[in-house]
Amino acid sequence: MLLRIDPGSTEPLFAQLAAQVRAAVLRGELRPGARLPTARDLAASLDVNLHTVLRAYGELRDEGLVELRRGRGAVVAAHAAGDLDPVHAAVAALVSAARARGLAPATTVGLLKDALSQQEDR
Amino acid sequence: MSSRPFTSPVGTTRPTVPHRTASTVLALVPAAVTLGTAAALVASWRSRLPDPVAVHFGPGGADGYSALGPFVTLGLGLFAALAVAGWLVAVRWGRDAMTRRIGVGLAAGLAAFGAVLVAGVLALQRGLADAARTPDVDPVVTGAVVAGLVLGGLCAWAVPADASAPATDPGPLDGPRLPLGPQERAVWTGRVVSRVAVALGGGATLLVAALAVGLRIPGLLVLVAALAALVVTGAVVVVTVDATGLTARSPLGWPRYRIPLDEVLGARATHVRPLADFGGWGYRLGRGGRVGYVLRTGDALEVSRTGGRTFVVTVDDAATAAALLTTLAERARPLARG
Repeated sequence: MLLRIDPGSTEPLFAQLAAQVRAAVLRGELRPGARLPTARDLAASLDVNLHTVLRAYGELRDEGLVELRRGRGAVVAAHAAGDLDPVHAAVAALVSAARARGLAPATTVGLLKDALSQQEDR
Repeated sequence: MSSRPFTSPVGTTRPTVPHRTASTVLALVPAAVTLGTAAALVASWRSRLPDPVAVHFGPGGADGYSALGPFVTLGLGLFAALAVAGWLVAVRWGRDAMTRRIGVGLAAGLAAFGAVLVAGVLALQRGLADAARTPDVDPVVTGAVVAGLVLGGLCAWAVPADASAPATDPGPLDGPRLPLGPQERAVWTGRVVSRVAVALGGGATLLVAALAVGLRIPGLLVLVAALAALVVTGAVVVVTVDATGLTARSPLGWPRYRIPLDEVLGARATHVRPLADFGGWGYRLGRGGRVGYVLRTGDALEVSRTGGRTFVVTVDDAATAAALLTTLAERARPLARG
């Protein structure tokens, strides 16, 4: 899989990594049982601190998306994604509706974030 | 994804094969010494050997016989021919250090194996009036395998590595790119497991292990170890593309094949059929000196490298890997940086 980081971004590096793995799992690109690169290899390849990668993997583990195994690295959890078909369908519907109205991607994401934060507030 | 092979730029010739002298010394000297020593030893034993000598052995002992002269000539001659073939591979197609290691290792290893086998089988028959009473030859076979692996391995290890050969073209490179911001860093990793190799190799390992224990042939344990090592190092490949270039390695880290970013001339996704393109699976030499780490039929990453070298590794999503490697290699070009 492809992983990228942008040190110029305001988003922390560990969050950038976690977000990409999360998205790949939720999109079904990373199947249950798929192995992520070891934290050591990934840190070396991206020239970041080992703890940055470990923090990203730790976050994904806490979300139940990956299992961390000693000596075997991170493996995508068996029920990581669950049945997300309705969510994928709804997201696709949202994207096409937003496009039809000519909304900028940032605006669409903003609407979604607002809706999510309102739900959390309740 | 075209099937067009990489071609040299117009007006340039393929560079010559490097380290020919070293390859010749490491392949032919051990072969000549081992096979020559075997021939000399056998000649010195001639008067004390039975006639005919035993040359084939079954579960009940010797079951095949031959005159001494034809057996030694054919036996040593066959391994000498194999050694010459390995040497030819190294000096003819050895642009890549991996090719030279395989050729030299085969030449020295097969010669040592053949020399110990032929001389050892005859050594057991010294002083016998009847070759049918030749003792157990299993220790000789084990010794020959060990001698072949050790000498072949040592000579392959001693082969000089490729010198650093940065590309001199200023770019831009051919092929699709990956949009990457100026500060962005990226890594691509892929992992291929050959289920066939795991099943067949693992099954063969268990079978031979069971035979070694059941029939009490400890010599077979050498084969078990060799098979197990082959499965662990040959059935899985981990491919990484990052700011250092391309790395293809087994999960244990060895064998490992690296291409530094500044030696990448181009990268593309292609389709590989191991048997048709490389004559088999694993670390292979393909037509025209292509080096392949091929575990299955299908998607593969092909990298054209300085020095007229081409490397192929089977991996899923090779198109993304090729695009990232092209992008990073172009970034590493002096003029592109300048």
